[in-house]
Amino acid sequence: MTPRRSVILDLCVQAEFHTLLLLSLYLLFAGHNQPGGGFAGGLVASCAFGLRYVAGGSSALSRSISIPATTFLGVGMLFAILTGCVSLLTGHEFLESAIFSADLMVLGTVKTSSVLFFDIGVYLVVLGMALLLLEQLGGADGTDPDEVQP
Amino acid sequence: MFVLILAFGCVAAVLPALAARIGRGVFYVAAAVPAAAFIWGVGAYGQIADSGPLIEQAAWVPQLGLTLGLRFDGFAFLMLSLVAGIGVLVFIYAGSYFHAEPIIGRFAATLLLFSGSMVGLVLADNLLALFLFWELTSITSYLLISIEDEKTAARSGAMQALLITGMGGLAMLGGFVLLGEAAGTYSMAELLARPPSGAVVNVALVLVLIGAFTKSAQVPFHSWLPRAMNAPTPVSSYLHSATMVTAGVYLVARFTPAFADYSLWRPLVISFGLASMLIGAYRSLRQHDLKLLLAYGTISQLGLMMLLFGVGTKESIFAGCTLLLAHGIFKAALFMLVGIIDHQSKTRDLRKLDRLGAQWPVVAAAAGVVAASMAGIPPLFGFIAKEEALGALGETGFAWGVPVLIGVVIGSSFTVAYSARFVWGAFGPRPVSMIPHQGSVRNEAVGQQVPKPSKMFLAPVVVLAALTLLFGLFPSLIDPVIARAYASLVGVRAEDHLALWPGFTQALALSAVAIGAGFALFWWRLRVEKLQDSMPKVASAQRGYDRTVKGLLEGADAVTGFVQHGSLPIYLGVILLTMIVLPGVPLLSDGVMPDLWFADSPMQVVVGFIMIVCACAAAVARRRFAAVLLVGAVGYGMAALFVIQGAPDLAITQLLIETLGVGVFVLAFRHLPADFVRPKFRRSQGAQIAIALLAGVFVFLFTLFAIGARTEPSISGEYLDKAYSEAGGNNVVNVIVVDFRGFDTMGEIVVLAVAALGVAALVRAKRSPAEVEP
Amino acid sequence: MSFFSALIVAVLFSVGVYLLLQRTLSRIILGLALMGHSANLLLMVVGGRAGKAPIVGAFGPEDTVADPLPQALALTAIVISFGVISFLLAIAYRSWVLTQNDEVEDDVEDARIAQLGEAEMRRWWSRPR
Repeated sequence: MTPRRSVILDLCVQAEFHTLLLLSLYLLFAGHNQPGGGFAGGLVASCAFGLRYVAGGSSALSRSISIPATTFLGVGMLFAILTGCVSLLTGHEFLESAIFSADLMVLGTVKTSSVLFFDIGVYLVVLGMALLLLEQLGGADGTDPDEVQP
Repeated sequence: MFVLILAFGCVAAVLPALAARIGRGVFYVAAAVPAAAFIWGVGAYGQIADSGPLIEQAAWVPQLGLTLGLRFDGFAFLMLSLVAGIGVLVFIYAGSYFHAEPIIGRFAATLLLFSGSMVGLVLADNLLALFLFWELTSITSYLLISIEDEKTAARSGAMQALLITGMGGLAMLGGFVLLGEAAGTYSMAELLARPPSGAVVNVALVLVLIGAFTKSAQVPFHSWLPRAMNAPTPVSSYLHSATMVTAGVYLVARFTPAFADYSLWRPLVISFGLASMLIGAYRSLRQHDLKLLLAYGTISQLGLMMLLFGVGTKESIFAGCTLLLAHGIFKAALFMLVGIIDHQSKTRDLRKLDRLGAQWPVVAAAAGVVAASMAGIPPLFGFIAKEEALGALGETGFAWGVPVLIGVVIGSSFTVAYSARFVWGAFGPRPVSMIPHQGSVRNEAVGQQVPKPSKMFLAPVVVLAALTLLFGLFPSLIDPVIARAYASLVGVRAEDHLALWPGFTQALALSAVAIGAGFALFWWRLRVEKLQDSMPKVASAQRGYDRTVKGLLEGADAVTGFVQHGSLPIYLGVILLTMIVLPGVPLLSDGVMPDLWFADSPMQVVVGFIMIVCACAAAVARRRFAAVLLVGAVGYGMAALFVIQGAPDLAITQLLIETLGVGVFVLAFRHLPADFVRPKFRRSQGAQIAIALLAGVFVFLFTLFAIGARTEPSISGEYLDKAYSEAGGNNVVNVIVVDFRGFDTMGEIVVLAVAALGVAALVRAKRSPAEVEP
Repeated sequence: MSFFSALIVAVLFSVGVYLLLQRTLSRIILGLALMGHSANLLLMVVGGRAGKAPIVGAFGPEDTVADPLPQALALTAIVISFGVISFLLAIAYRSWVLTQNDEVEDDVEDARIAQLGEAEMRRWWSRPR
């Protein structure tokens, strides 16, 4: 049986992909006040890439993102650690949060906290991990026997 | 005193380097250290005569209240003079015994370390410090016996000595700890001044005695001493005659004034001592190797010393002190003599040695003197010691005094016989008619043209022979030392005095009987040997040791084979059963049952039911992907339960993770066969189900009791209050994750990153190491 | 405390143990996943009664609020067990690539020791006394 690419699935994924990424960003930023957060956001983004993989195999996955998965892992760790260190440098406990609020006139007041950066780090690490799993176990290195040709 | 003990270690440290330059001159350098110790001891002896024992304290482990206490009293002086005095002579002797062998640096250093440990042992007041030095002597003894490490016999002999004395040392440590805890002090002086009582003390004393018996080679722990004769002779004449083997006697001597009246003390010490005296001497009568003859003789003499101290009357303690000194002098000299014979003629077999006495008159004369001292023949120091012993045992006033006395007289006659055998065997004519022992000895006489030993080689022996004669003729010279040693043990001044001629006493008559019987035994030595050969061999301590060691090794194999069989399911089963049983039993007895209702909501029942069904189906599924999907369904059920519980964050995360997880499962498993391999062993399935059910019941009860165990309200009330004010977030769970417990999350993402990199490494690795090769 | 939630915890754990005791590596991993679920649920159930989501503003003063602390712990645990299981899956994959076998064989070295021990045991018991 030769694997065939399903057009319907392909189109649906194309349509959903960016929506899902947007949702993941929403969850990330809303996480401090609503259900969500770095974990959930990162996982939604991972699922978006997972769908890409399901629809088009690892070639579709590698076409949809050009940054290597390990970069996500590294940058994420860096974000998390730096956030902790900044609060250390300013004379607080490691990871102690600081609250900022800015008045954006028309959009109203936005209030955020320094731990958002920490949460971004978590988001990136989770996404990086999922991408790495998909790449490796999915055989993006060209050894995959199930590779679907477009 | 600390400086003194440290000096031994410091000098020993430089000896190996020094030996490379000055060769065997290193022994004379080493001899300076025990000489200094001896001189210090003589000086300090004058001090303690005026002002009582010298005491030095140093904090050892202050946190545990351990102080390292040293104490120098009369008995310590007696021991120190033996250790240091004979030490000096042994080092001088070793200077001639060895040539320029490469081992001499190592040997001299180890011997000096031993010497220092022994000095520490006799000076130590703290029981744990005593144990430390005790073990140090065991370890240095091990190193010294096996110093010629290319010899198998030396290695196994050393191991045997270490195992037996080490085992005894451990028992002794147990005894010390029990005694120390019972008395509330680890200071020996305080312990002996106020001995504790109670059943635990009896146990402790038995343990301490095991240590003393093994160290002093008492029957049935004696087998290591003959095997240790594989050591170079300086070791034997130092460790196995006068010093290390008397450590056990030393300990009994210290303890006996305080503990002699405890129910087990006398029966144990006296019976073991007497048995050792008789068996050692009896075995000695049939030895053809002069060194072994002396080794068994040492066991016998140590037995007599044990017995004397064990009896614990004032007279017997006095006699014990005398014998300790006398034995140290003559036995060291005798071993040195064997070493000289061995060194010059390359044999110690008395069936080969022929008329050495005619060529070496001085050596033969010295040997005659020290052997006569051992036999207890007047006017030598050994005679005085034996007189004291027989006198003391004659007036114990105990019911068992007479049988013990008879035993000692028999042992003494054996002693006379083997002393005569030693002199005759070494220096007399070759015994033509001697029974060929297993027919292995070649018929070659050794005796003609044996090179004479150098004067330096002989000097230590002559000094010791002169001493035993001097102290025999003028006992008043040494009497104050013995008296002070006695006084420091018993606490009162000695009424007894050493005398060469005590008058016509019972002891003198018994001495005469022993000497007469001894010479008779020697005269009929062939018959005695024949009789011994015809006796059925009841039990041999050596065989006992061999069997014990073999049994231990086999037992270890069996146990390891039983517990380490290599099957993962069985390992996991054992771990899980332990997890269930150990906490399970107290759980059942102490658990508090909380208020129960059936379910939180109808939804929970529905979801839960589906989850249970899916889980059970996953357990029996034969198709791999079916099992994966069923487990995935359980995961989705979890998300639903989280919603019911009021945990939307968890629900979202669980849902997403499960989606991603199923994908990862599928990716990893897609190359594997669609069906699971059917289990090969059906019989193990019953056990698996049983363990699984037990685990289920355990977890069920645990869950119920865990909620019932809550006594305090949750700390998260505080989190709820502070989430917004301090961290600026409404979602308390998220605030906890990224802020209050942010450090945990930090660790968690590290785990994720590492796991991801691990996956990449595992998947990217080549199929097999062979493929890496070009 | 509801009886039924304890039952779910117990059943998941029990099935997890059963799968863990199998020789098939993939079943062992599935067993671990189930045990992970069981442990997370246990945290929830033991943590307190069900209630409103612990989001400030989403509950009134009279409402019962679910305890947020076990939730935070479980959140961490869920993600970690995902990482661990991914790693185990990679091990299973690697084992398959190397040996074409999904079974956990007895450790060769251990089995040799066991044979030695059994031989010793037999000698011990058959020794004439």
